[in-house]
Amino acid sequence: MIRFDQVAKRYASGQDALADLSFEIGAGEMVFVTGHSGAGKSTLLKLIGLVERPTRGQIVVNHADLARVRRGGIAQARRGIGMVFQDHRLLMDRTVFDNVALPLLIAGTAREEIGKRVRAALDKVGLLAKEKAAPVTLSSGEQQRVGIARAIVAKPPVIIADEPTGNLDPQLSAEIMGLFAEFGQVGTTVLIASHDLMLVRRLGKRVLVLDHGRLIDDFRPESSRTGASRVESSRPESGRPGQDA
Amino acid sequence: MSRQAERNVRRQAPAPKVAAEPRRARVPWRARLAAWRDQHLYSFFSSLGRLAARPWANALTVLVLGFALALPLMFYLLFDNARDLAGGLREAREVTVFLQPAIDGKGAVALAAELRARADVADVLIRTPEEGLAEFRQLSGFGEALDALHANPLPTVLVVTPGAQSDLDAPPLLADLKADRRVDLVQYDATWRRKLSDILHFGERIVAVIAALLALATLLVIGNTVRMDIQARTAEISVMQLIGASDGFVRRPFLYAGFWYGLFGGICALAIVIAMELALVAPAQRVIESYGGRFALHGVGVLVALAVIGASALLGWLGAFVATARHLAAGQPQA
Repeated sequence: MIRFDQVAKRYASGQDALADLSFEIGAGEMVFVTGHSGAGKSTLLKLIGLVERPTRGQIVVNHADLARVRRGGIAQARRGIGMVFQDHRLLMDRTVFDNVALPLLIAGTAREEIGKRVRAALDKVGLLAKEKAAPVTLSSGEQQRVGIARAIVAKPPVIIADEPTGNLDPQLSAEIMGLFAEFGQVGTTVLIASHDLMLVRRLGKRVLVLDHGRLIDDFRPESSRTGASRVESSRPESGRPGQDA
Repeated sequence: MSRQAERNVRRQAPAPKVAAEPRRARVPWRARLAAWRDQHLYSFFSSLGRLAARPWANALTVLVLGFALALPLMFYLLFDNARDLAGGLREAREVTVFLQPAIDGKGAVALAAELRARADVADVLIRTPEEGLAEFRQLSGFGEALDALHANPLPTVLVVTPGAQSDLDAPPLLADLKADRRVDLVQYDATWRRKLSDILHFGERIVAVIAALLALATLLVIGNTVRMDIQARTAEISVMQLIGASDGFVRRPFLYAGFWYGLFGGICALAIVIAMELALVAPAQRVIESYGGRFALHGVGVLVALAVIGASALLGWLGAFVATARHLAAGQPQA
């Protein structure tokens, strides 16, 4: 569903955010991207979301070559991607329901259908009761769950999340990650950037480790309890991000 | 848990072969029309709601627009009335011939007969000095002063209507009349008519120029208001763009806002002009009547009112379009 082929990104400032990055993520796969801040995690997600364009290389998302997506097609391409942000970016002057309904409204879903799907999405994140609430009245964990409901409501084949648990305490973080894992199980491709390696390891999903824009490791921890050797071996590189959080 | 997930992944991997484009094409046109309608309804109400959220600031904007639009509308009305007032004169084609005081009734009849015989004369009307005096007395209100005169100072007047073919600035008839020794003065209304026409044309142009300038001002005021709206909502716009909103979707509420500004500004302008009309028409009518005018001043017609509201709403929409175009272009990566 997501394929990077020798992708490089250099910003106008001359900073090399990504260099020679190649990987492939299959449909329904759940993958974490880790690395210290500035390693290129955000740039990676921005390239998928067409917020930035690569300097070199090919990116394929949802079977579409992003280089061929012109200015007018960006909006359409983004509708195939559910985005979750660290600061959830909800529209504060609208109710929870309206926030979650926005992608459906944008996609031109029929009105009767919108109500059903918004409630289904809110139900999935456990916020069905807060439908009419204003986002400011919710806790940060709840706000992030609304953000997730908004990302999944249009049933995009790909979900990307940039530090979705960055502002949450460990227990809430685990809850949120659990939610993402559920989506992975229903065939949605999920890509999450996170520096919370403890959490990432516990979920036992594939992990891409970036350092200075390069992919330095691509592994899957066997299980949280046995503590696989790959995890141990990759610790020196990927252990750092926890410190600069 | 991880094994379970892995199995799931393997089982479901080939399932979602969803490409963006074909999915869109499959949506029937009826559903797309409904979606389009829903999106417009949404923008329609959300833009109104935003206006209502800041009533004072927006009322001020609308007032500024109202005055800016009222000015050309007022000029237009003034000018339109002046044109109608002059309308009767504009049509006049008669040549008024003042005879020498020495020419009596018989001489006047003879000259009239001579003129009637000409091919380029359609009709000749004789107005005796007595008729002239009676008319003057009625129109001028100098009745008592006229009574003081011992003799009627007015000459006999022939009103000559030229034939249809002699629609020239200076038909030969005119030269002949001027050359006639029995004639004291020839007044040809067409010359005057042309001068009036030129003046009215000039007025028309002034109104058009002022209207154009103020329309531009309206455009700028609305464009700037919408630009500030956009700046206040930059975060919201970027979220919308990130979750796949097209330029049209992002732009629509602002276009509606511009439309509302223009619409309410136009209604405000109409209200101002109608209020002025109510205050001014009665005294103006009295002035006209005191001069014996039978002319009725007219105010803003329904068509003009609709045109003003329509034009201002269009200007608002246009101003918003320009303001959003710049922002939208800046908000996306280079393709």
